[in-house]
Amino acid sequence: MSLRLILAVLAAKLVMHISRLLGKGRGSSLPGMLALRICPDLLGHFENQPRTATIMVTGTNGKTTTNNMLAGILEREGYQVVANREGANLITGVATAFIRSSSILGRVRCDYAVLEVDEAAFTGVTKWIKPRLVVIINFFRDQLDRYGELDTTIKNVLAAVKQLPDSTVLILNADDPLVARLARESGYHSKFYGVRPVQELSGNVAYSREAKFCPFCGHALEYNIYLYSQLGDYKCTQCDFARPQPDIEAESVTTGVGGTTAFLNDDKNKWQLNLPVRGMHNLYNALAAFTAAYLLGVKPETAVAGLETYTPATGRMESFRYGSKQVVLVLVKNPTGFNQALSGLLTGEVEQDVMIAINDNAADGRDISWLWDVDFEILTRTPEKFKRFICSGQRAEDMALRLKYAGVSPTIIEIENDFSRAVDSALNGESGAVSVLVTYTALWPVEKILSRRAERMKQSVDYSVPSVS
Amino acid sequence: MSITVCHLYPDLLNLYGDRGNVISFVQRCRWRGLDVQVREINLDNPVKFEEYDFLFIGGGSDREQSLIAADLGARVDSLRAAVEDGLVVLAICGGYQLLGRFYRTPEGKEIAGLGLLDFYTEAGNRRLIGNVAVEAEIGGRKTILVGFENHGGKTFLNGLKPLGRVLFGNGNNGMDGLEGARYKNVFCSYLHGPLLPKNPVLTDYLIALALQRKGIGTELSPLDDSIEERANKAMVKRLLG
Repeated sequence: MSLRLILAVLAAKLVMHISRLLGKGRGSSLPGMLALRICPDLLGHFENQPRTATIMVTGTNGKTTTNNMLAGILEREGYQVVANREGANLITGVATAFIRSSSILGRVRCDYAVLEVDEAAFTGVTKWIKPRLVVIINFFRDQLDRYGELDTTIKNVLAAVKQLPDSTVLILNADDPLVARLARESGYHSKFYGVRPVQELSGNVAYSREAKFCPFCGHALEYNIYLYSQLGDYKCTQCDFARPQPDIEAESVTTGVGGTTAFLNDDKNKWQLNLPVRGMHNLYNALAAFTAAYLLGVKPETAVAGLETYTPATGRMESFRYGSKQVVLVLVKNPTGFNQALSGLLTGEVEQDVMIAINDNAADGRDISWLWDVDFEILTRTPEKFKRFICSGQRAEDMALRLKYAGVSPTIIEIENDFSRAVDSALNGESGAVSVLVTYTALWPVEKILSRRAERMKQSVDYSVPSVS
Repeated sequence: MSITVCHLYPDLLNLYGDRGNVISFVQRCRWRGLDVQVREINLDNPVKFEEYDFLFIGGGSDREQSLIAADLGARVDSLRAAVEDGLVVLAICGGYQLLGRFYRTPEGKEIAGLGLLDFYTEAGNRRLIGNVAVEAEIGGRKTILVGFENHGGKTFLNGLKPLGRVLFGNGNNGMDGLEGARYKNVFCSYLHGPLLPKNPVLTDYLIALALQRKGIGTELSPLDDSIEERANKAMVKRLLG
């Protein structure tokens, strides 16, 4: 027990307390940052404190959702869990999560630590804390000016995995060749999850695909089916690299505005899942959480029940009500996530006003070129669904320009850099529904404005799939 | 009469939304009632460069660049002939570097480029990343081009005409204040953004050059560019005040 550690924890707890009093943000990174300054080996003190194990979730899209789903399942099973739930996934956010649950002497009482870790921070965090399970969900092109190219990201994660003890188990997305390859490349024991590739699920958003070539021999990958982005049923045209048969596979999948239903199959038994959030990407998040829980020995029925009561964290698709209008807030970070959000817009049945807020701070990615990799062109297939597009944020003009070149009529494009005025304009439009799509640093301010103007719904309001036990 | 666009290696060279350049070129033709065809040429696809009016080549990661250098190297004579004949080309970032004489690695090894333009690139010790503003003269009009650069290589022109002078950012090498390169109807730049949507003066100039080469009248009808100008000005104001 070092004095430094106690000092670090005290200082961090003081900052948490003050930021709570001032109501300034949620203080999910700053306390950890301060504590690490005072005690750089802080995480080492926490490493062996979870009584059972530490699980880490990394990858590009869906870390927060997957992590929160898994933490929710474990809590439902009766475990005490430490988790960084707000998406603060750098080393500072991990430190904050531990400190929040620790005594002033730095003691944490928990059974599991469930940690979402940024791909770029994975090496740094695993230097201090060795997880028993690593869940790797997908790799998409993200804010390139921060990370360098996707190849580098994958190589770094692989190198960090190889530093972990031999007993570490990887939980991998079978449908993403960029993830599945890690089983062979690392040589670690791996379990796979995936969605049974049937024609009905074949996605119609085709652009921004990575992984056109086999990571082992360099020849072209051939796809039987694309589910979305590079996820699908693939095999190399030259060597034996192909989609592995998943240990847990989702089948009979139906997706709708209300949510997603599927059967989860472990080759012996099947469990029906009614997931209250829409989109294939959320089914993958649920599959990843389910597979991790399954391997940890949680009863599958408990895991399913945990997933069915999942409520999205801020901006990972939140619902509000404004008068008679439904308002949906969605975080968009990269082309794949944005394409998913656009597919969501197309499922709406009433005409909508759409607000898109694009910032270019470091956490958003300073380079906003990626907007041109998003398939906005699909919006022009059903022009009757969209009344207006209100572009906001630091790069409102660039967003407007992208829509114009996608074929959206400039007469329905507005530019309003100020969030407050943009939200007002969107809420007070003539259409029956509002969708708000925002980048990371626009999320908190827009969410704050929305929650002042509109009533927050507890759960995805359009969830209408009956629960089956 | 239709304008034919060649998008080279879109499967491999499509970093940083570079396809936005093709979208921009195509839309600005279509909005004027000009017929445009885009053909995507990937590895090993046969290509006759003399059949095209506009050729676009984007940037890729290192592994992809080396695949392409080999593929394009095998057909460099036909490309050189087309360039000398006035083919309109836009090459961005990695595609730009590829057209030069060589790329010198940190170990001092020189990897041969296509040698179509007289410049060379060497590995830098840090990546040059950020927003850029460039003063350029396009078709006799002074204009400010804006974009975003992200490159490790530093390019040096051997007296070749640059695309413009850097007002903000690094440009070719962060040292001589030059950005991009021009030779005949070939335009090279490090600017993503992508480059063409926010810089419609350049886009229209490329279209006009392509039409001119086909022997069609080059008076382009004006378009409502208010969103384009707003996007350009917003960045100019942020960078230059």
